[in-house]
Amino acid sequence: MTLSSYRVIGMACGHCARFVAEEIERIPGVTAVAVDVERDTATVTSDRPLDIAEVRAAVEEAGYELP
Amino acid sequence: MGDFADIDPKEFIANFFASFMGDLVHGDEDPAVVVDRYHTPDIVQVADGILMDRAKLIAHTRPARKHQTGARWEVHEAVGDGDRIAARYTLHFQTLKREGSVDVYFFGQFAVDGRMRRAHMLTRSVPMKANGVAPAEVSSEPSPRGAPDRRQLPA
Repeated sequence: MTLSSYRVIGMACGHCARFVAEEIERIPGVTAVAVDVERDTATVTSDRPLDIAEVRAAVEEAGYELP
Repeated sequence: MGDFADIDPKEFIANFFASFMGDLVHGDEDPAVVVDRYHTPDIVQVADGILMDRAKLIAHTRPARKHQTGARWEVHEAVGDGDRIAARYTLHFQTLKREGSVDVYFFGQFAVDGRMRRAHMLTRSVPMKANGVAPAEVSSEPSPRGAPDRRQLPA
């Protein structure tokens, strides 16, 4: 199991968190996503190491950005 | 703004959000310039308990500009008192990927020039029906005295 934390820019409310979590959860191998809007972070649990490009693409698909 | 005695707060709040988002999404100005046109530098917004200052507000506008394709503010009721407005509205939004509606319970304070200084919001996603249509608004406003209660009329 791999646990990774990412800074996400642009989130402001619970709706933002849900959009980001939904997109990251689509990445193959992801088993859980916890988004903290106040800390601008998404913590991702996966059963394999994730490529940052995959996570970036998912976050951007939701409408937000990684630094 | 300063005083809502001579302005319809319902119209003001609808125009405020529509104009702000219109400038943001359809214009090509720096988002910070647009945010500053509609908010005082000390703006504080608290949405569902999460605090958003000017920097976070600017960061939040970038995704909107990038992905939002449409937004409409359906203001159900609004009350003005001095420089403050309380309003209940539904934001209907469309992005490149999704659409939805969010009920918002809003308490805001505005500067004399109409810029927002402070806002507290509680929000709730409106559940979508199977056909993708949001349920119709259920009015909680009392009917005018002497008028038939529309809530009791047959469909």
